[in-house]
Formats: sequence, structure tokens, C-alpha cells
Amino acid sequence: MRAVVVGGGLVGSTLAARLAADGHDVVVVEVSRDRLSELADTLDVQTVQGNGTTVEVLEAAGIGGCDVLIASTASDEANMVVALIGSAIFHVPRVVARLRDSDHERSFRAIARQLPGDHLCVNPDLAAVEKILSLLPVPGAADVASFLDGKLLIAGFPMGRNSAFSGMLLSHLRLLFPERSVLAVAIRRRDQWFIPHGEDEFREGDLVYFSISPAELDNVLELIGTRRASERRVMVAGATRVGIGVAARLEKAGIPVALIDEDRARCHEAAGELDSAIVLHGTPTDQGLLEEEGVGKASAFVACADNHQLNVVACLLARRLGAAHTFALVDNPALSGLVGEMGIDAVISPRLLTVGLAAQFVRRGRIRAAVALLEDEVELVEVDLGPNSRLTAGALGEVGLPRGVLVAALLRDGTVIVPGGGDRARPGDRAVLISTTERARELDAFVGS
Amino acid sequence: MNPRFDLHLLGWFSLLLAGLLLLPLPAALLWSETSLPWLGSAATSALLGLGVVLATRTRDRRLHPKDGFLVVTGAWLLASLVGALPFLLAGTLGPVDALFETVSGFTTTGSTVVVDTATLPRSLLLWRALTQWLGGMGIILFTIAILPLLGIGGMQLFRAEVPGPVDEKLHPRLATTARMLWGIYVGLTAAEWLGLRLLGVSSYEALCHALTTMATGGFSTRNGSIGEFGSPGVEWLVTLFMLLAGINFVLHFRLLQGRVRDVLKDVELRWFAAILGGALLVLTITLHRPDVPIGDTLRAASFQTVAIITTTGYVTADFEHWPHVAQLVLLLLMLVGGMSGSTGGGPKSLRLVLAFTSLRATIHRAIHPRAVVPVKYHGEVVEDEIISGVWGFLLAYALIGLAATGVVAAHGYDLLTAVSAAFTAIGNVGPGIGDVGPYDNFSHFPPLVKLALSFAMLVGRLEIFTVLALFSRRFWRH
Repeated sequence: MRAVVVGGGLVGSTLAARLAADGHDVVVVEVSRDRLSELADTLDVQTVQGNGTTVEVLEAAGIGGCDVLIASTASDEANMVVALIGSAIFHVPRVVARLRDSDHERSFRAIARQLPGDHLCVNPDLAAVEKILSLLPVPGAADVASFLDGKLLIAGFPMGRNSAFSGMLLSHLRLLFPERSVLAVAIRRRDQWFIPHGEDEFREGDLVYFSISPAELDNVLELIGTRRASERRVMVAGATRVGIGVAARLEKAGIPVALIDEDRARCHEAAGELDSAIVLHGTPTDQGLLEEEGVGKASAFVACADNHQLNVVACLLARRLGAAHTFALVDNPALSGLVGEMGIDAVISPRLLTVGLAAQFVRRGRIRAAVALLEDEVELVEVDLGPNSRLTAGALGEVGLPRGVLVAALLRDGTVIVPGGGDRARPGDRAVLISTTERARELDAFVGS
Repeated sequence: MNPRFDLHLLGWFSLLLAGLLLLPLPAALLWSETSLPWLGSAATSALLGLGVVLATRTRDRRLHPKDGFLVVTGAWLLASLVGALPFLLAGTLGPVDALFETVSGFTTTGSTVVVDTATLPRSLLLWRALTQWLGGMGIILFTIAILPLLGIGGMQLFRAEVPGPVDEKLHPRLATTARMLWGIYVGLTAAEWLGLRLLGVSSYEALCHALTTMATGGFSTRNGSIGEFGSPGVEWLVTLFMLLAGINFVLHFRLLQGRVRDVLKDVELRWFAAILGGALLVLTITLHRPDVPIGDTLRAASFQTVAIITTTGYVTADFEHWPHVAQLVLLLLMLVGGMSGSTGGGPKSLRLVLAFTSLRATIHRAIHPRAVVPVKYHGEVVEDEIISGVWGFLLAYALIGLAATGVVAAHGYDLLTAVSAAFTAIGNVGPGIGDVGPYDNFSHFPPLVKLALSFAMLVGRLEIFTVLALFSRRFWRH
């Protein structure tokens, strides 16, 4: 497949790298020469210098025969123009536009409906809001994703000193959960990711991804050493789109929210959009203000300011003042690597989420959802199994699944089955597979039709 | 400001009034009553108007928002002066009494100095009812066309509700809106007339009461007001139409468009209904007697609650003999008034909603000193300017009410009479409590009190600042 990526910023370049790794021919269009040479040096992609909103430049990038066009410049307007040129003039079958403003998104969808091809709008802010909202009900988790219409939860927990799992053999999970409703599906140990077996053991300092049936969540949390707060109160720092979005969704759910921002005008705007949430004017690192507004009793502190360094600092302060769980918006991969050691529960990267959504759209077919776990090293895929899928050829242990690929769950007739090596998958089932990213291509070939 | 053109407009208005003064003439002829008052006052008004129109011809026809204050106050004053002529010419009322009665009419108040309506010719009673009906019509135009332009007392909010004026000129859409709202006004009047006819009320009395109900005026052809009909059916029907008249006419318009959901979502309507319901509950409980059927108590309570909150001021019961709690509730309802955009008087429930919401925000700020708490109405942030306008209005309203109370009390009246007379006047309600109770009238007041109350009625009807602005030195400075 040929892919054209317009805009070589963090999202564009990460996506280009991901697509190139998946075996696509990628062309990156970027205005800045400096940026472009940087990309050419580090990635296995072709580069074209120029303004992607012009037809000539896009033609030079080979938009004519391409399968995927991704508009990921910093400007919504430019992205809309690029996407519309791709659809209307060159009939590109799959077009992704990154749009931050929901009004733009609405307009774009309305126009796109009239045009040939599939379109996807990705909104980094909205993606971050969704991620935060899925993290909040699972305290202690560094990452959460839900699959099979919410019937399966995949959550990654760092193994702390309090965790009852530390030192336990994986096969002992079956003693605790004989129904196999809880399964360890991936482990990161000292920056190495692997798909574990029964003989592996949990160690302190591991980041372990579990697949959990929602009914068992409270039991897992207890074993991890956390628990859901009986009374939820959330403090959000930063009246950004993400901050306001999170506050709005929480207040709708009846959870008390306080939103802090240092800019008075933004506070007014936020107070206008929100209803029961308290909007406070002040710096998120003002200890007096945080204490006065009861950060010590907060079940969660979410830092969503545009300044990501400030987010980390605010979270550390909130943690020290007694906030039960802290979450920070951080895009810089170097920074987010540090955060786990500092005691911040989870970092959310809007750009990485955008990359994940776009990559998932590009691979779409029978794949319903593909979610990259933290740091893009492990991938979860939800897929409908067709009549000719190699996965249905025999017992799961015998169909020759590549190493590092695991079937986490099957959905059959509305019930979730956690299969063992002797179980069979049937055509018509929906499967959740987990694999390291480097195996993703083999996986695609394996489940295909 | 363009005072010359303002006068010119008032001249034309005088000519219009001359035409309106001829309306009762056919009735006078039909009932073989004297036609002198009508011909005389119409001729005076026409000559006055013609003189002014000719004397103030001008090429400069530009109008500014400031002209609105002058023209509106001038129009109500002129209507009251000219409209008083028939009472004078008929020889039934003295000059001050005639003025009081007409001001009470055009401001849709309904306080009267007529001791016995039977002594007045029927054509004059018809005119009395007409002054209220025309006043109500004027108020609708004033509310939708001029008030948002002047932007006083927080009523800028109305701009968002009705397609508002963009330039200083009357917008064509505005004219359309005014016509539609007038259509509703006329239609409801006709409906009530028909309803009263079906209940056996004479054609003439049905007309007079339909006219004064829709204006939330309250003049009656009977000394004992609606109660004298002794008909539960009439009382329920009038209650219904008083209520309709006290509801924002824009909501009626939406209802006709079929936007029922929008109407039910209206915040002011919900508050209005809640206040009404609460008052009704208290009244029903305090008035309940084991020997009286609950239906009768409920009817009396509903009628009086609606009559006072909509500032119509009809009566069916002598509430002076009601328990003090019930009287207090009625007195407080005078301080609510109808909805904005209705013909009702008082401070208007919209302002109370905003004031209450702003109070709540103030308390919220006290608890969270660093919190940013905007006042919201219908989910939208209300600008501080509007909120301070509302508070300014309520303060001015209270101060003028208290000043009028002082004038009445200084003439030797008891406090309850003084307070209720003052606030019934500024709220354009009609009856008060004490010496101005439901079955009393205002004729016993000395002339100075009558003039002071007339002024209060005018100030209250024109949303306080329209009149008060004229007393400011800055207004007259260029």
C-alpha cells in the first residue's frame, strides 16, 4: 500500500514510522526543510518538500495512486483542504484528517459524506478525554482499553510493593480465578515487552497488562492494592479543550469536579460551558489553593494544561498533598518515560492516541479495533473471524500462531470465552488478539479473511 | 437626540388618539348617551396634534436610542392627559381624579377613584376598559421594540428572544413580530369575549372585561368586580385568561408555531409556575375551612393568586378578611409581577430569576473565593452588565415604592394602606390592602397622593428608567 502523510510533526512522523514498519510505502510532505531532512535521516520514508495544500505538491508526492492519505499538519484548515483535495480530485480510498475543533469536524463530515472513499476525523483532544475517562474508574491502572462492546477490559498495572501478585507464578492466577476471567496478557520488564506464559512470574516493578471481565475488576484492584473510592471527587488542572471536556463529562455523570486554570478569560469560558463544576482561577501549582479546594480528598487529579512539564509538576504536588490518583497529559515520550517512577498513575499522550486511531483506520478491514498499548510496543486487535481465517483451522494451540501472539478472548453469541490451547475458534466469533508490534504484520496475515 | 422630531411624532400620536377617542361614540349614540365628551375630546386632541405636527415639521428624521425615552414617556403622558378629557367633559370626575383614572387605565393598573360605576355612562366605562386594552397593546410594542433598544433594567436579554432591531429604525422583521404578537393579543381578547358570552355575560360586559383582562388591567363595570357575577364558570374562565395575559407573548407565539418543547423548557415560565403553585398552595391551606367545599376555596385562592401575580387586580373575595399569612402572600406576589414580554406589571419574574441566580453565585463565590462563577440563564452566561442592570432596577423599584409609601403615610394613612397603595401603584396591580382594599377605592386620597401614585404607576409601567432617565441632567446635555 502507498500512503501519503502531509505534515511531519510528531503525529505525522510517528504515524509514518508506524506505517513504514507495517510495510507500506510512505511519502511524507512537509514545508520545513530542516524537519524534512531530520525525517529522511531517521525514517525509511520518501520525503517531499512543499505546501501540502497545493495540488501540484500532492501530485509530486504521488497522491494519484495512493491508498491512504493522512492530513496531520498543525492547522485544522490546512488538514481539511488536503483531505478534500485527496477525496474530491484524486479519489483516495482512505483519508484521515486530524481536526481539533469540533465545528470543523462537523463541517468536514458533512462535506465528506458527499465524496467517494472512507474518511476519518481524529481529534487528539477528544481521544485524550476518552482515554482519561476510561482510566478514572480503574484506579492504579497506567492504561485501560475496553474491548468486545465493554465486556472485556484490558488494563495495565504497575506491580508495586503492596501488590499481592508480586512474586506469584502466572499459572496461579487460575487458582484465584478458576473461570479464567482474569488473564495476564503482556508484561513490560526493564523496558522489554513480552507475552507471558504460565511459568513466568510477576515481579515487583513489572508493568502487567491483564484482561479482566468487568465483574472481577474490584477483586483485581484489591489484589493490586488499590480500591475504587467510595466517594469520587475529581480535580482537573487546565481549562484546555481536554480539561473542559473531562470536566463536562464528569459533571454529567454526577461526579463533583473542580477545574483550575491560571488564565481568567479561559476560566470564564470554561465556567460558561460547564454547569455544576467549580471553576477556579489560580495556578495548578498553588499549594494553598489546592489544599483549600480539598485536593487531599480528591479521588483523582487530572492535569490537562497545555504546558506538559507543568502537568507533571502539578501531579507531583497533588500527589504529595494527598490526591489518591494522578493523571498527566504528556506528549514528550522522554518525559512520559520518567513519570511512572515518580508515582503518577498514568500519562496520556493525545498525539500517540491520534497515531493509534489513524493506524487502526488504515488497517481496517475485518479488524474492528486495534489499540496500541503504552509506548506502541504491544498491540491489541479486535477482529471478526471469517470462514477462511487460519485461526479457525483447528485447536488454538495447533493452528501455528506466531510466537508472541496470544488469543486473549473470544466473543461468541454475546458471551466472552477465555480460550485455552485446546479450545477452537469458530468463524463468526470475534477475537481479541494481543501481539508485540513487530509481529503485527504476521498477525494481520494470519487472521485475514 | 432630536426633540423636534420627537414632538412631531407625539403630534401624530395625538391625532391617533383623536381617532381612538371616537371609538366609544357609536356606543354612546346606540345607548342614547351624551356624545359631547367624545366629540369634544377628539376635536381637542386632533387640534392639538395638528398644531404640533405643523409647527414641528422637520427634515431631520433621525432617531437615536435616547429619543426612545422621550417619545415613550411623552406618549403615555399625552395619552393620559388627552384620555382624561371625556371624564372631565362628562362632568363625572374632577381634573385630578380624571387624570388618576386615565393613568391607571393606560398603565393597565386598574386602581379606581370611581365610587360607584353605576353613576358613569356606559360609554365612559367602555372607554375606561379601552384605555387599559390600548395600554396593553402599547406595552407589547414597548417591550419588543423599544426596551431592548434602550437596554434598561437587564431587559437586553429580550433582544435574544425576539428578532430585534439592528439599526435605530424599526426593522421590517420587528414590525412583523409586533403584528403577530398583537394578533395573539386580539385573538385572546376575542376568545375571552366569546367564552364570557357563552357563560351568559352580556355582550357589553363581556367586552369590557375581555379588554381589561388581556391588558392585565382590572377595571370592571361592577363595583364588586368579577365576584359580583357570582358565577364559578366566569371566575375560572377569567382566571385562565389572566394567566395567559401574564405569560410571555413570545411563548404564545412559539406555541402557535408548535414548538411546545421550547415553551416547556423556558426557565422563566418554570419559575413563574413554581411561584404561582407555591402561593396557591399556601393560600389554599390557610383559607381552608371544614364547612366550605374545597372546590370553592381552591377557586377563590386560584383567582386571587393569578389576579395579583399577573397584576390584573380583579377581585372575587374580600381578602382583607383573610388570615394574615394569606394577605402577606398576596402582598409578596405584587413584588413578583407577570413574565417579561407579557402585559403584566411588577418587577417581572425574569428579573427575580436573574437576581436569585446572581445571589446564588455570590454565595458560591463566598465559599470558593477563587472560583469563577458566572450567572447563567438558559445555559448561557449572562453578562455582568445585565445583572447590574437588574439589581439597579430592583433597587430603584424599591426606593420609588418606598418614596410613594412615604407620601401616602405622610397624609395620615396607616402603614399597611401606605405600603400596599404604593406597591400596587408601581406594580400596576390595582387593589391594595387596608383603606385601598379589594372593595375600597382610591377616591378618599388627597390630590397630592393621587398625583404621586399616578407618577408611580407611570414609572412602574415604563420600566422605571425610561422615565427616570428624563430626570437626569446628563440626559439633556448634548
